[in-house]
Amino acid sequence: MAGAIIENMSTKKLVIVGVTLLLFQALAFMVGGLIAPSPTTSVNYMATKCVDASKHREDTKWFMPWGPNLCDKIRSFDEAMAKRIEANNIVFAVHIPMQNMEMSPWFQFMLVILQFDIAFKMHNQIEEGAVVTVDVGLAYRDDMFSEWKEMVHSVEQRKLHCNLSLPKTYENEGRYYDCDHLPFMELGSVAHKYYLLNIRLPVNERKKVNVGIGEIKDIRLISIHQNGGFTKVWFAMKTFLTPSILIIMIWYWRRITLMTRPPVLLEKVIFALGISMTFINMPVEWFSVGFNWTWMLLFGDIRQGIFYSMLLSFWIIFCGEHLMDQTERNRFSVYWKQVGPIVFGSFCLFIFDMCERGVQLTNPFYSIWASDVGTELAMSFIIVAGICACLYFLFLCFMVFQVFRNISGKRTSLPAMSKARRLHYEGLIFRFKFLMLVTLLCAAMTVIFFIISQVNEGHWHWGDHTVQVSSAFFTGIYGMWNLYVFAIMFLYAPSHKRYGDEQSSGQCITGDAGANSGEDIQLTTTITHVDGPTEIYKMSGKEAQE
Amino acid sequence: MLDGHLLLGWLSFTIIVYLLSAPGPTTAYFGLTGNEPLSILPLNSLPEETMGRAHYKLCDRLKLEKKQRRMCRRDPGMADTLRESIIMSALECQHQFRFERWNCTLEGRHRGNILKRGFKETAFLYAISSAGLTHALAKACSAGRMERCTCDEAPDLENRKAWQWGGCGDNFKYANKFVKEFLGKRSNKDLRARVDMHNTNVGMRVIKAGVETTCKCHGVSGSCTVRTCWRQLLPFHEIGKLLKQRYETSFKVGSSTNEATGEGEISTGRSQQQQQQQQQQSLPGLNDQIPRTMDLLHIEDSPSFCKASKYSSGTAGRKCYKDKNCDAICCGRGHNTQSREVTGPCQCQVRWCCYVECKQCTQREEVYTCKG
Repeated sequence: MAGAIIENMSTKKLVIVGVTLLLFQALAFMVGGLIAPSPTTSVNYMATKCVDASKHREDTKWFMPWGPNLCDKIRSFDEAMAKRIEANNIVFAVHIPMQNMEMSPWFQFMLVILQFDIAFKMHNQIEEGAVVTVDVGLAYRDDMFSEWKEMVHSVEQRKLHCNLSLPKTYENEGRYYDCDHLPFMELGSVAHKYYLLNIRLPVNERKKVNVGIGEIKDIRLISIHQNGGFTKVWFAMKTFLTPSILIIMIWYWRRITLMTRPPVLLEKVIFALGISMTFINMPVEWFSVGFNWTWMLLFGDIRQGIFYSMLLSFWIIFCGEHLMDQTERNRFSVYWKQVGPIVFGSFCLFIFDMCERGVQLTNPFYSIWASDVGTELAMSFIIVAGICACLYFLFLCFMVFQVFRNISGKRTSLPAMSKARRLHYEGLIFRFKFLMLVTLLCAAMTVIFFIISQVNEGHWHWGDHTVQVSSAFFTGIYGMWNLYVFAIMFLYAPSHKRYGDEQSSGQCITGDAGANSGEDIQLTTTITHVDGPTEIYKMSGKEAQE
Repeated sequence: MLDGHLLLGWLSFTIIVYLLSAPGPTTAYFGLTGNEPLSILPLNSLPEETMGRAHYKLCDRLKLEKKQRRMCRRDPGMADTLRESIIMSALECQHQFRFERWNCTLEGRHRGNILKRGFKETAFLYAISSAGLTHALAKACSAGRMERCTCDEAPDLENRKAWQWGGCGDNFKYANKFVKEFLGKRSNKDLRARVDMHNTNVGMRVIKAGVETTCKCHGVSGSCTVRTCWRQLLPFHEIGKLLKQRYETSFKVGSSTNEATGEGEISTGRSQQQQQQQQQQSLPGLNDQIPRTMDLLHIEDSPSFCKASKYSSGTAGRKCYKDKNCDAICCGRGHNTQSREVTGPCQCQVRWCCYVECKQCTQREEVYTCKG
C-alpha cells in the first residue's frame, strides 16, 4: 500500500529507526550532562564607594575599585558624612569581572541585576512608591593599561520594592529592608575583556530626585553570563545538527517533487517545520565570537518564536488533516481559527521582546519593567499571549478529541470495509496514533526535565562525576525536538513503494473524483493516489446504505 | 548526614593532629578569640598599598600563628579583610550585648580570662569571631578586594581557563573553605579545645544556614526556561542576632575527669557505653537531649559579672534603662538617677547620603547608672 513511509515500514525497521533515534537522544543528554559545564554563571559584586573629588564633573573620569589606579575609597557613609562629601560626589564602582579574570565573547550575553542594601532608620524611611534615579556609565577596555572607553551613559529610574518584616520601632533601627532585585543591564554580546560600571545616585531636593529612598548602605550587583564551555558545546551541537536536518529536508522535498501530484498541505507544513528547525539550528552564533553583534540575543528569541509557532501550527494541521470527516480541507485558510491565536500570540511576544531586548540594543540599561506604563504594557502583552495559548490548546484538545471519536467510529465499521479501504483507514489511524504518542512523549519529557532542572540545584554528583542537570536539560531537549522533526520528515515522507501502480490508479481516480463531485477528495489529496478505487467502493457502499 | 560529616571531620582532625602535633589547645584562635590586644587596631582604614610586600607587615601586626600568617600573606587583600572581620565581630558582639551585664568588653585582660574558661560568653566569642571572618571574607571577595577568591585552583593560567569554561564557585564557598582551614585543624584531645572548635564551627554553620538563594529568569522573552540562581549571605546584624539566640539556649557539657590534665572525658550522666559511641559524633550534654550541631556549648556556668573580677570590670557605673534592664544589670544594688539637659539634633531630615539637616533641641533626659 502506498502512503507515508511509516505505514509501509516493517515493524523491525521501525524499531531499528526508533532505537537509533533513542541512542542519539541519550547522546544529546550525555553531551550536556557530562561534557558541558552549567549553562550560566552568576557573580556577586559589591560596589566600592569612591569619592569624586573634582569640583566639576568630568565624563571622561572613570573610577576603579581596585588595581593600580584605584579611587579614593570610603568605607561607610558615616565617614562621608564626617568628611562632608556630597551625594553627587560618591561614585559606586564595579569592575566586571573580578581581579585576574577577563570576559570573553564566548559568554554570549551578560545581564546585571541591581540590589540595594537599605537600612531601616526611624527618621529616614523608604517612602511609599519610592523611585531611585541612577546615573550610570559603562566603560570597557581590552587590556589592563589602556584608557577606559565609554560605551553607554544613561540616567535610569527604578522603583523600589522593599518591605521590612519587623515592626518599625527604634529597636529595629539598622536592620535591613528586604528589597526585590531590580533589572539593571543587559548586554547582547560580551565583546570586551573588562567592563567598568560607575553608578551615582544624584540628589536633587527641588526635583524630588532620590529623596525618601531610605538609608542606602551598599549597592550590590549580580552579573549573569553564559559559560564559555556551554557555548562551545552548544555551538558544536548546532553545527552537527544543521547538516543532518538539512540533508533530510532535501531528501524529503525530492521525494515530494518526484510525485506526479502537487504537494498537499500537510507535506508543505512538515517541510516548513523543517525549514524553521534549520533556521534555529544554523550556527550563525559563530559570528558573535568574532563580531560585536549585540542583536544576537534578540535574533535567537525570534528564531525560537518562529519554530514554536510552526510546531504548534503543525500539530493543528496534522490533526485537521486526519479528521476523517469527509470535509475538504487541504487549504491553510481553513485553519485560520486555530492558527490565528498562535500568530497573534507570538506577535504579542514579539512586540514585547522588541520593546525589551530591542530597545536594549541602543540602551542596555533600559527595562520595560522599570516604569508603571511599561509594566502594564508588558503584562498585557504577556496576558494576551497567555490567553492565545489557552485558546490554542482548547482548539487542539477539541480536535484531538474529534479525531479519536472518528477513529472509534471508523473502528466499528472497519471489518465491513473492503481491503483497500480498510488498509487506508488503518494507515491513517496508525499514523495519527504514532505521532500522537511521540508528541506526547516529547512534550512530557520536556516538562519533566524542565521540572527536574528547576528543582535541582543544577548538578548531581554521581561518584566522581558531576552531572550538570540543567545543561543536560538544554542539550537533551534541543536534541529531542531536532530528532522529532527529523523523524517526522523521515517517517511521513511519501512512500514510493509500488510507484508504478500509482501512476495508473492515479489517473483512475482523477476521473472518479471529478465524477463524484469531490466529496471525498480529501482522501486523495492528503494521502495517496491509490485510494481511487476505494472512493468508488465507499460511494457505492453509501448508496447501498441509503 | 551532618553527623556523618562531623564524624569524618573529627577523624581527620585526630589524624592531622597526630601527624603534625599542632600547638596545644591554649593557643589562641583569631580575632576576638586571639590573644593579641584589640586596641592596636585603628578602626579607620590603613593606607592601602598593594604594591610590594606592604601587606606582609600588616599580616605580622595581626599576631597570627605560623600557618595563619602564611595564609594571610598569600593574598595582599587578606590582612585588611582579617582586620575588618575583627572590627565587624567586635561591634556586633557589643551591639548584641549592650543590654546585658556582660557587655562584651573586649579589653585584653578580661577577654583573655574569659577565653581561658568555658563560659557561655566564651562560646559566643568563638562563634561570632568565625562567623565574622566568613562574612567579611565573602564580602571582600565580592568587593574585589582579594586577588584569589572563587577560582582558587593552584596555577594562574588554569584559573583563567576554568573561569572561561565554566565560571567559578561562589564567594561564600571560598570563604567557608578558607575559614575552615584558617581556624581549624587543632588538637581535639582536650574537652575545652573541642568545645571551642565546636563553637567555632557553629559560627560558620549559622552563616551557612542563613544563605539565601535568589533566582532570576532570563529565557526567551524573560521566561523561566533559563534560570540562574545565586547565593546571598544574611546581613551580619542578623547573624549576630541568631548567635545571640544560640547563646541564650547554650548547652552545658560536663567533664568527668580532672580538667588540669587536659584529657577530660565527657560525661553525660548516662551510661558510659552510649557515651563512648556518641563521643565521636557530638558532644553530649548533661540533660537527656543531645545538642545539635547548631547549638553553642559551654562547660561551666558563667560568673555573674556583677562585681569587678577577672572577667569583667563589673556593672558599677553602667548606664541602664529604667523598667527595662536596670534591675538585671545592677544586680539588685539599685541605680542612681541623674537628670540633665541635653542639647542635640532632632527632627532630622536625612537624604540618602551624607547630609543631615537637623534642628537643635534641648531635652531633659534621665540617665540611670548602676550603683557601685
